Amino acid sequence: MSGKPPPDEALHIQDLHITVHDGAAVAVRGITLTVGAGEIVGLVGESGSGKTLACRAALGVLPAGCAVSEGTISFGGQDVTDLSRRGWERLYGTAVGAVFQDPASYLNPNLTVGGQLAEVLRVKQRMARADAHRKTVELFAAVGLHDPERVFHQIPAELSGGMLQRVMIAIAISCDPRLLIADEATTALDVTIQAEIIELLKDLRDQRNLAVLFVSHDLALIRELCDRVVVFYAGEAVETGPVEEIIDRPRHPYTQALLRVASVGDFQRRELRVIPGQPPQMGEDVVGCRFAGRCPAAIDACRSGPIDLLRLGPGHQARCVRAGDPELEAAAEAELAAR
Amino acid sequence: MSRRPLIGQRSWLRLPSARIALVILAVVIFLSVFGSALAPQNPLTINANALFQGPSAHHLLGTDYLGRDVLSRLMAGTRLSVLTAFEAVAIGLVLGAPLGVATVFLGKWFDFAVNRVSDALMTLPYIFFAVAVTAALGNGLVQAMSAVGILLAPGFFRVTRAATLEFASAQYVEAAELLGATKGHVIRVHVVRKVLPTIAVTTAMAAAGALLAVSFFTFLGIGVTPPAPTWGGVLSSDLDYLSQAPWAPFIPGALIAVTVGALNALADAFRDRIGPGALPLPDPVIKTHSTLTTSHPEAADVRQTAA
Amino acid sequence: MTAATTDPATTGPTQPPLLSLEGVDVVLGRGWRANHVLSEVDLKIWPGEIVGLVGETGSGKTTLARTVVGLIRPRKGRVTFHGAQISGLGRTARRRERRSGHVQLVFQDPLRSLDPDLTVAQIVGEGLKIRGGLDRAEIERRAASALAKVGLDPTLLHRTPGQISGGQRQRVSIARALAVDPELLFCDEPVSALDASNRNYILRLLGELRDNLGLPIVIISHDLSSLAGIADRVVVLYRGRIVEDGPVAQVFTAPRHPYTALLMASAPSVQHDRPLTVHQLRRTAADPAAPSAAGACVFAARCPFAVDACAVQPALEPVAEAGADRWSAACHRADEWQPLARERAAQAAR
Repeated sequence: MSGKPPPDEALHIQDLHITVHDGAAVAVRGITLTVGAGEIVGLVGESGSGKTLACRAALGVLPAGCAVSEGTISFGGQDVTDLSRRGWERLYGTAVGAVFQDPASYLNPNLTVGGQLAEVLRVKQRMARADAHRKTVELFAAVGLHDPERVFHQIPAELSGGMLQRVMIAIAISCDPRLLIADEATTALDVTIQAEIIELLKDLRDQRNLAVLFVSHDLALIRELCDRVVVFYAGEAVETGPVEEIIDRPRHPYTQALLRVASVGDFQRRELRVIPGQPPQMGEDVVGCRFAGRCPAAIDACRSGPIDLLRLGPGHQARCVRAGDPELEAAAEAELAAR
Repeated sequence: MSRRPLIGQRSWLRLPSARIALVILAVVIFLSVFGSALAPQNPLTINANALFQGPSAHHLLGTDYLGRDVLSRLMAGTRLSVLTAFEAVAIGLVLGAPLGVATVFLGKWFDFAVNRVSDALMTLPYIFFAVAVTAALGNGLVQAMSAVGILLAPGFFRVTRAATLEFASAQYVEAAELLGATKGHVIRVHVVRKVLPTIAVTTAMAAAGALLAVSFFTFLGIGVTPPAPTWGGVLSSDLDYLSQAPWAPFIPGALIAVTVGALNALADAFRDRIGPGALPLPDPVIKTHSTLTTSHPEAADVRQTAA
Repeated sequence: MTAATTDPATTGPTQPPLLSLEGVDVVLGRGWRANHVLSEVDLKIWPGEIVGLVGETGSGKTTLARTVVGLIRPRKGRVTFHGAQISGLGRTARRRERRSGHVQLVFQDPLRSLDPDLTVAQIVGEGLKIRGGLDRAEIERRAASALAKVGLDPTLLHRTPGQISGGQRQRVSIARALAVDPELLFCDEPVSALDASNRNYILRLLGELRDNLGLPIVIISHDLSSLAGIADRVVVLYRGRIVEDGPVAQVFTAPRHPYTALLMASAPSVQHDRPLTVHQLRRTAADPAAPSAAGACVFAARCPFAVDACAVQPALEPVAEAGADRWSAACHRADEWQPLARERAAQAAR
């Protein structure tokens, strides 16, 4: 890619391939996505679908044996694909922040949470102790913690899971990064707290023009929060597009299957659907579409060769040869109407 | 129902250090049984004409201050040294390990009492205790090593108890209790096989320590009735005549060191490969992404359901 | 304060309940650390129904399950099964009760509740082995049969938990409970760690157990949407108290307790509209201060509709609704708060 990227682009991933087991298998193939400032992009898929690996690549923390074999990752124009450890350390917190699933395991249990955030500020922004304390209390208030001055002096064991996750978010945004990556950040939280954290993320986006990459296995949650979504399956992006459109008119059979099993939310008694079969093993070589084995609509063309992303509309693409097929569309719509 | 071997992991055998250690220990054990019979000469035969001879065809390791064949003395001496060391370990194991398991299940007063006794024993220095026991019960290596055995017991006890505590509070034990299991069932089915690796490590380490203790006692002359050969005894007399035969102490010294080293290597191999911390499943307390599972109805399932 | 229980003579079937908790109080810890985990819990479970027990972390739902199976002793009140008391038993009586297999508990995390050194056959057959009286072959046969009930092939019998997948482990855990032919099953968060497809599979499986075996099941969850598909009844716990208890269809159409409504509004959904949003059900700074003295309603501090009367903890009262049997809610304003909620702003002021 040459030329300057749009000034408000926080993250751009181009044709990313990640290999695992020291290059023995390709776990992620050809992922391309962009997150602009103030945008919330969701990555949805089962575990093993590659979404977490893609996130880790974007944070420079791929596990041992894994490596980016092709493609580029850039933050606001700066290519970080082959960045050194030193380079990444400069970016952490200032260009990108991250929150993960179990906040308690990312905090030192013996130190106050305020102290841990203040330490980040003192180290990364060379703040004086008093300033760091003040900013910490401000940040705690910004993430919705009641009585932030009191929370400053508490240790993780005294705080609930929801409060700890707010602390983690505060740490992640403390140095004003342009991008926040949240990997299953609400999975371990109660549903009421999850709803509050989702709102917090939306507020942060509105107030700070923060770009958010939100990873989840729960399509309903993605729908609540995200503007756009990338559906991952077996290491590939099988559908991308605006979230409302993908929910209303999913074009890829896997997205349709995800919708079938997702929580509808009207609490009616209905038949519980499942997705039969199993995804291919990580890195397994499959000729043609990787979902064909489980797809109710698969035809011969699906298994003959690699499937490209089909453009279906502005910003909406699907990796399915039958994506534009009117028969399939009609059947899908009928099914949605019946629910 | 299939029974899997209790200490069944073969991976510790793959370590070269463990293999070498096993070979060394196999030789030592073999010698402790057959050493006297296989010794080329009588270890007690005195030959005043052949004092302090160096290695030769007739005496492969030379002779000592009384002209006795060193190799034969060491081979014959293996039995006393090794067997009494194992005796001490056995006493420590039999006294300590079952109590370690029992105190976890038999209530807090029993636990308290046994712990205090164990604490008291651990304060005793083993040499003085051994001397006291031999003074009371007669000067024999067996008695001295029994004393060592008693003092090894607290070590077995504490280690076994710690390991048992870890497993006794596991959720699968709770699940068994919910099915109406007795404590005996829980111990038999769930706890024993899990503490065996810990006991194995402790046994190997205790054996090394006991062997050193034996060598030390026989070196000091505790519990030894001359002229019976022992490794420590040979070492001691060699040191007495160091000026005449400066090479001599290295031989029994090397023998002791190699055997103790082999036992330690074995203990290390156990600890690395089969001790706690080498269990196959990930630590269930740490939440990882793998708590989210997407295993689908699979081929092994009886019913396939369609979306 | 006494809790009025719904009278089965005037509502619902005339069968006596299978399991009954009467005035159960559970306190964990002592002295100043004492934590009243459950307070005045009255709950009945009838045969053949699936009951969803819902609450946040700390609501006491796991404690309730552990109290029913005798792992915790209630400080007050009792638990009865077929009318006979099963709480506060001595060790031998408790062991006998457990061997009878009346009530079984399926734990939340199969990684922790399955012994990693045993085979599936040994795990599933453990209850039968403890009970005694059967030879090895028969135990293995029954273990295979229990596996079949949860849709697992007998080839799994000789594998260890580490060799099977997470979803299969969860089913093995259920099979272990089924192998002793229980009359009531408690499942502690059986699907919380699973993705949507696996979650539905397990829930469907539990529904089939109810349909085919008439087995009543209590499913503990923190998420209402997982229960909507198969539960007959839902019981909502908040900080150790039951705040609502009623038939799923009716409760989910028009909940009587604001906390139930908040849970429903918080659940993510792919559908576009909601009857009430979370903003309408959450307290804001603009709301008048809620009564907070000891003895006040446990939910008052979070409730936007709290009034002075809420200084007294409401008892679980039957809900007056045509066609609704055995529905109760613990709220002084159970029939009043809904229009107030609708009037509140549907979105937070920004």
